[in-house]
Amino acid sequence: MKLPMLRPEGNVPESARLGGEENNVPVMLSRLDETIGFFEKNLSNALGWARKNSIFQYPFVTACCGMEYMSAMAGRYDIARFGAEFPRFSPRQADLLMIVGTINVKQSPVLKRVYDQMCEPKWVMAFGVCASSGGFYDNYATLQGADRIIPVDVYVPGCPPRPEQVLDGLKILQDKIQTQRHRASTMERAPEMGK
Amino acid sequence: MSQALIELVRGKFPDATGSSHRGDEVVTVPRERVVEVIGFLRNDPAAEMKLLRQIAAVDVLTFRSETTGGGSIASIEAPAYALQKKPSVEPRYQVAYNLYSITRRQSLRVRVELRSDDMKVPTITGLFRTADWWERYIYDMFGVHFDGHPNLQRLMLYPEFVGYPLRKDYPVRKRQLLVPELDFPDLVRGPGPGPGGAGVPMSQTHVGRANVDPNTYD
Repeated sequence: MKLPMLRPEGNVPESARLGGEENNVPVMLSRLDETIGFFEKNLSNALGWARKNSIFQYPFVTACCGMEYMSAMAGRYDIARFGAEFPRFSPRQADLLMIVGTINVKQSPVLKRVYDQMCEPKWVMAFGVCASSGGFYDNYATLQGADRIIPVDVYVPGCPPRPEQVLDGLKILQDKIQTQRHRASTMERAPEMGK
Repeated sequence: MSQALIELVRGKFPDATGSSHRGDEVVTVPRERVVEVIGFLRNDPAAEMKLLRQIAAVDVLTFRSETTGGGSIASIEAPAYALQKKPSVEPRYQVAYNLYSITRRQSLRVRVELRSDDMKVPTITGLFRTADWWERYIYDMFGVHFDGHPNLQRLMLYPEFVGYPLRKDYPVRKRQLLVPELDFPDLVRGPGPGPGGAGVPMSQTHVGRANVDPNTYD
């Protein structure tokens, strides 16, 4: 068996560090790798915990689902209990893009541009059936679901969804944020803007 | 009472024909006279139609046709109407001006019939300012050209849109996307309307691709 070469950043392959799917084969770890992995995992958990409990959202409200969005925001259902009470009306300051309502074809370049302007890490929630699949607007003018142009993390069904469903979708998104991998810094370049 | 209105129009314009159905009075006039007739109805003291409630357009292509039995053609299963196989009814289009008199509480519809090879109507923006957007709307959805309109552009759809969506031969499921569609080869949409539905993987649909034939869809 050929041992992997020791590298200063650790021997563990990317996929084996945190929850990788190819983690079935045990990798020989040095003490240094174990230490780095331990701290990376704890750091990722801490970052996930911080990020899931302070979701700044950008509400892209286009249709009647906005009323239910307001209801979910307001005192009775109070989305602030889950740390998501802060709508930022600039996509550059937001973590979560909430697509609230029907997206028609004429509007889709705007939505794409708003999504491109958001900083990483970012998540997207499709709020209601129109944003998820086009709903009953199966016609020439409507985009058949926002996931045809941007990736969507959580779909909340309903026409419009009850605020409980919105909160449930938010909890699912929080679980996703907690379990995904976070890094303190990244050397990856930002994707190309525009286009 | 509104029969009197039809008689009033016919007394002034003998080539107009009137009809009445359950209190819904219609005067059908030749295209060249529509400005005269509507101006007459607006200014005549017996009519006083100061309010233009709506301008509507109708495509009677599939009206009482054997394909749909006169029912809805908007079902997904209905094939696209092939104008080559079955020629259109002529005159195919109608433009209807719904006028109302607030002082006299009477209404009248002025209708113009159009052949599909010559879809031009003189504008009435000189009589009613509100006709501006109505005529742009009808141009947007049906492609009727209003001669003399100050700004005849699409009102609701985007300028890249090809065709006129409320015409009956527009394919029901045709889409014209502005942003290229993401491709998820492993994503299978559930049953339901729309492209990519009914278990068809999204990579096998051709929505938003460059090689879309605009006359066929799915």
